[in-house]
Amino acid sequence: MSAGAKLRLSRRDLIGFASGMVVSFPLLARSDMINSATSVATVPPPPDAAKLYAWLAVHPDNTATLYTGKVDVGTGAQTALAQIAAEELDFPIDRLSVVMGTTSETVNQGPTYGSLTIRYAGPQIRAAAAAGRAALIERAAAHFSTHADLIEAKDGFFTVKNAPQRRISYGALVAGDRLDVTIGAKGRGFAMQVAPHAKLKNPADYRVVGQSIARKDIPAKVTGAFTYVQDVKLPGMLHGRVVRPYGVHATLLSVDENAVRQIPGFVQIVRRDNFLGVVCQTEWGAIKAAKILGSVLHPKGPQAYAAKWSNWQGLPAMQDIATVVREAPGKNATVLEHGAVDQALASAQRVLKATFESPFQMHGSIGPSCAIAEVTRERAIIWSGTQMPHQDRHDIAKLLDMNPDQLEINWFEAAGAYGRNGLDHAVADAAIMSQAVGKPVRVQWMRWDEHGWEPKGPPIVQDLEAAIDANGKVTAWKHHMWVPTLGDSTLIAAALIGHPNRVGSIGHGSPAVTYAYDFPNAQISGHDEGKVALRTAWLRSPAQFETTFAMEAFIDELAAATKSDPLQFRLDHLKDPRAIAVLRAAAAHYGWQPRPAHGKPPKNGQPAKGRGIAWVNRDDTRVATIADVIVDPASGRIQVTRVVVAQDCGLVINPDGVRNQVEGNVIQSLSRTLHEEVTFDHANVTSRDWVGYPILRFDQVPDSIEVVIVNNDPKYPSHGAGEPSTCPTAAVIANAVFDATGARLRQLPFRPARVKAALT
Amino acid sequence: MIQPITLTVNGHDHPINADPKSMLLYALRDQIGLHGPKFGCGLSECGACTVIIGGAAVHACVTPLAAAVGQKITTLEGLAENGKPNPLQQAFIDEQAAQCGYCLNGMLMTAQALITRNPHATRDDIKAALQGNLCRCGTHMRILRAVERITQPQIPTGATP
Ligand code: FES
Ligand code: FES
Repeated sequence: MSAGAKLRLSRRDLIGFASGMVVSFPLLARSDMINSATSVATVPPPPDAAKLYAWLAVHPDNTATLYTGKVDVGTGAQTALAQIAAEELDFPIDRLSVVMGTTSETVNQGPTYGSLTIRYAGPQIRAAAAAGRAALIERAAAHFSTHADLIEAKDGFFTVKNAPQRRISYGALVAGDRLDVTIGAKGRGFAMQVAPHAKLKNPADYRVVGQSIARKDIPAKVTGAFTYVQDVKLPGMLHGRVVRPYGVHATLLSVDENAVRQIPGFVQIVRRDNFLGVVCQTEWGAIKAAKILGSVLHPKGPQAYAAKWSNWQGLPAMQDIATVVREAPGKNATVLEHGAVDQALASAQRVLKATFESPFQMHGSIGPSCAIAEVTRERAIIWSGTQMPHQDRHDIAKLLDMNPDQLEINWFEAAGAYGRNGLDHAVADAAIMSQAVGKPVRVQWMRWDEHGWEPKGPPIVQDLEAAIDANGKVTAWKHHMWVPTLGDSTLIAAALIGHPNRVGSIGHGSPAVTYAYDFPNAQISGHDEGKVALRTAWLRSPAQFETTFAMEAFIDELAAATKSDPLQFRLDHLKDPRAIAVLRAAAAHYGWQPRPAHGKPPKNGQPAKGRGIAWVNRDDTRVATIADVIVDPASGRIQVTRVVVAQDCGLVINPDGVRNQVEGNVIQSLSRTLHEEVTFDHANVTSRDWVGYPILRFDQVPDSIEVVIVNNDPKYPSHGAGEPSTCPTAAVIANAVFDATGARLRQLPFRPARVKAALT
Repeated sequence: MIQPITLTVNGHDHPINADPKSMLLYALRDQIGLHGPKFGCGLSECGACTVIIGGAAVHACVTPLAAAVGQKITTLEGLAENGKPNPLQQAFIDEQAAQCGYCLNGMLMTAQALITRNPHATRDDIKAALQGNLCRCGTHMRILRAVERITQPQIPTGATP
């Protein structure tokens, strides 16, 4: 059997027998290598969602496995989904392991993105587990020759009511059988309805959901036993490295193969059109060969290495990017319009205008993208950390001129990706190289491949205009956003081999913003679908981070113009009770005293303190953030000292998990606010490492990040927690800097030079 | 160029064949089969590859094998005591100090070297020691608290809400 099929069997068959059930893949962690390898004819398709075995297996040692097409991108989704299943199943969570993503073992529940896992996959798993419990109760009733009503389920055991000696474990009852029970399923992906007739537990009886259960993955991650996709090894596996074009759209003119032949373990150069890769027996050999061919941190020119490229110089000048964004062909779209905005603006006593700009930013995963592919004529077996294994199965099949039935994607967690970075693209690279050499190939990008070529979050430009009446009320609000295509996710390798191909869908900007306030006249519009300079892909809270920056910084300008307390000014223009609740909760925890922003230049150039507030409704999750900053006018440095976040994401499955996500969102978005900007020349990205693209380090973390959870109640369905708290940060900091210094920062990032310039 | 080399890792000798100019990280991962040290940048910029050599935290991605021969090398796997997480590793578990966890090797190894040098390190000391370690997930607050559990045990846990 192939290595892929073996791994699949290993997981399904062996996972339940490992003790403790803390680590998902104990087999790999121990043996370090997936065993080989005779051949099987076909690759198993995903299981039938209407069958219980597609979701659950119960093993003879009274452990169980949950199967889900969702993956964990470092957010703890694995543990939260296990909590939901354990709750409905009345099964101990520490005996329930989770298999995620692998296409031959799990149902396609849609890609893992948009902070939608708990919201959509949660109910699917809840229903499947409830149906599973009911089916097992039936089986227990038959076993004890009694009625199902008389069977009690608890902690992995069934007992006959009032007869405690009549007791059997789930594992003994199932006795190794596959759970071949039809539970029903309608629809697909996010919208799929699983086990529509399952009777769910009353949330008042929840004992596992709502608890801060320790994450299943963390022990192995701190001991080194965890197997990331970067750690997967196959027998006979070779190492590949990519050699990307010097300029984004440069043409490969020639390759001097003799320059790399002498490298020990050299196997082959893989060249297809403009795709260039090199395969060696060792990783070090591949790195050395790629270097000779031109894969270096700062290449000296298109013809300075053994691979020669045309001198393509088609990128716009970096300082002109805002104009390029405004002028990019695209589509105008109105998001919302009510009242008569232009009339209200024309007749207003007072009108304020502001323009906000943000640059290309990157996902910046700490572990560069990696994939392993074993492609033969009959099939392709892939190991990947992708956020969408089921989607990749179709997309990579197209790339390889195969049929999805010939593909299996084995999912292993990668380093955090925060949107869609290079993981899918590395799959394409590995697949092309493996196809060429006929052996399994592992490709890991070098740091400069990741920084240089991962698809970026696009630059965004926004114009805002508002009218204020004599009572200090906003009478008109106009917000126009130029948002280039958020995700034009052509596979890099596919484009290079002249076989353009898409991964997933195209992302547009307009739906990204939610109009949040209650103004009598309002117009929100966008200009979308522009293509600007570099390949783009969804970056955590895509466009919402930037649009919230503009909205919430501008409303602060209006509050300051009317000498209003910025919290009260927001409340005066809001009706949404859940928005009001998070703002009040954050203010109460912070100890907010009402006053207008100071907004005065710092005295004698001394460091000055300020506070800022902002909030967002991001896909129904409300977040309010308040922060304290100290601005040093001499250096232009902003130090954030305290952050308070109130979040309403409805019913919380794991409170510590939500706090962990909020803390992470705050730090990462603070990094994007203070530091991050992709740089480029006319040929390509020039910020190709952590020196060129600095991110926040320990010296700039706040003293505290305090999280208040609001409306954590079963009457509010669970919404996303993985991204929303990214949104308010840039506005909070901009507003706090104004409070401290009177300077308005309207262009990201707020690097010291820009802050100093704003102060003078 | 490729020649027999013996590395002493986590108390065991590992004879391998490799180019002495190649970097330690690849020998540890690809030849000795360890998962702790990670490739993050290969440029000594992120800390993901950190190992401890002679008590000091070292970036294995830029340490040639020639410089590692004859040294006692400790990796994340070598911190365990009697097959159990050591106190620092346990503190990371207790604080739930991970998101993706890819940076944790570097955080743990750098902090372990700090603790050996300065058992009562303050928050500022910890920040200074970890300044070269990047975490993209933003797990910093929890990492600081986890290390403080060892160096500042008098601080009540959960002190920061
Ligand atoms: S991988 Fe060695 S410092 Fe980044
Ligand atoms: S936890 Fe993901 S990089 Fe630190």
